[in-house]
Amino acid sequence: MIPVLEGHGLAVGRTSEALLRNIDLAVAPGERVALVGENGSGKTTLLRALAGLDSVLEGTVLWEGKRLPSGPERVRTLSVLFQTETPSRFTVRELVTLGLALDGPPSMSDEGLVNRALEQAELGSLAERCCASLSGGEAQRTMLARALVAGPRVLLLDEPTNHLDPARQATLLAWLERLRRTVAVVLATHDLALAATCDRVALLHAGSLAVLGPPSQVLTPEHLARTLGVHVRRIDDPEGGPPLLRVVAPCARRSAA
Amino acid sequence: MRRSTTLVLLALACGAVAIMGLCAGPSGWYLPWQASDIVTELRAPRVLLAGIVGASLALAGVAMQSLLRNDLADPYVLGLSGGASAGAVASLALWPGVPPGPLAAAGAGGAAALVQWLARGPYDPTRLLLSGVAVSSLLASTTGLVLVMSPEGRLLRGAMFWLFGGVGTPLWSALILPAGLLVFAVGWMLTRSERLDRFTLGSDEAAALGVDVLALRRTILLISVILTAVSVAACGLVGFVGLIAPHVARQLVGQPHRHVIPTAAFGGALLVMSADTVARTVFAPREVPVGLLTATVGGPMFLWLLQRGAR
Repeated sequence: MIPVLEGHGLAVGRTSEALLRNIDLAVAPGERVALVGENGSGKTTLLRALAGLDSVLEGTVLWEGKRLPSGPERVRTLSVLFQTETPSRFTVRELVTLGLALDGPPSMSDEGLVNRALEQAELGSLAERCCASLSGGEAQRTMLARALVAGPRVLLLDEPTNHLDPARQATLLAWLERLRRTVAVVLATHDLALAATCDRVALLHAGSLAVLGPPSQVLTPEHLARTLGVHVRRIDDPEGGPPLLRVVAPCARRSAA
Repeated sequence: MRRSTTLVLLALACGAVAIMGLCAGPSGWYLPWQASDIVTELRAPRVLLAGIVGASLALAGVAMQSLLRNDLADPYVLGLSGGASAGAVASLALWPGVPPGPLAAAGAGGAAALVQWLARGPYDPTRLLLSGVAVSSLLASTTGLVLVMSPEGRLLRGAMFWLFGGVGTPLWSALILPAGLLVFAVGWMLTRSERLDRFTLGSDEAAALGVDVLALRRTILLISVILTAVSVAACGLVGFVGLIAPHVARQLVGQPHRHVIPTAAFGGALLVMSADTVARTVFAPREVPVGLLTATVGGPMFLWLLQRGAR
């Protein structure tokens, strides 16, 4: 099966100096991968490179085995949900329609896609409202609807739960659950509980991908102490759910054995 | 009101003001179908040029506001006004017999290039805006100094036309370049209106939504500078049109550029044609600079809109 997103031998950085090197990562269709690391470890930089927003210093990124297309085909391949966005004065319907990346007025079928996205996000009654007048939760649902309206195969999220109150976090997690197995999701996060719900976790440390694997093997007290510098108490769910990870105290980082 | 109704009403208003402009003038009232030389050779090209310049400045305003993602940006924000004034005054001082339009346009283009160079590096709308303000102030003060030091009152009188704007009495041939450019700009912007919508969300958001941000940014800037420079060459500095017309258009038809572009163009044309008709009739036989009237009407209207928005 062709990965929906793959990076080979990547070196990425916001300047000409690489922040991360030798990154190899392949994301299968419908898979959910979390990028975890301390501040400045390169999570967002890697995510931007995977989103095609910044070029890589070395290596190649392929989307469904090809280069990233432009225009409407791009948003059918890949969508990005940013951490924050300045509220616009478009109506909710207009903003969601922009997610189709059209170069002309929407056709009947495009309007059908927009209506479906609005219904799924429970935004039908707010469709003609100005985005600047929405509450935080409504604005977040609008951005999610825009990110998903074109039916992308991959969704990239940067710190999706940052600055969200518990209700908005719950809304986001419910959306992500709805996408499970249908849309591949790559997210950069500090939230260990969110990372634990993913299929695989990539721990970034000291300029490279330190560990990559299922949460049960990656989110261990030993790995987290070494890479994030925290003592974590892990409580496994006897019913098979994601483990509960409680940060107990900071600790000195140990170098890799 | 439906967007199409708004556009039709604006187009009808433009037509009505154009007919009024053909009929009225300091030499008296003529009906358009009398086809006297005064109507066909003096008033008609003047009314048309006023409409073209108004629409061009409004479109340049739409483009500049998208580029800087700031509704308070106008076509003169990148130092164009200062450059145009300096060019016009230099032309009047050095070559009194030559029309100062071309050098005014060159000054506007040169100032915009200087501002771009000063704000080089990673794109930062605030730095671009502040560079424009600084260059404008520097050029305006230099122009003022030259005028004050000039021993001839003639230079000051000639420069007034450029500094406050005026449509004058253009030949039909003078309309070809501004009209051609306006048609091109409307076509280019309308075919890219959805990309302009996405561009206003921010650079990263636009790139993630399939926009070639760098190419679009360069072309918007180029079109805005050329539209403004050609308008300045034809009519001097007619202020506030590029600020007020797009703002009113957004109030009337919302944010999508597909609706804002034609609405702002008709609004700008209506504003300058109305101002020009008033400028040459109400105070006849004297003529008031058009730029003074657009600022007199535009300023309070803009403040009213801001107050209404704040409430």
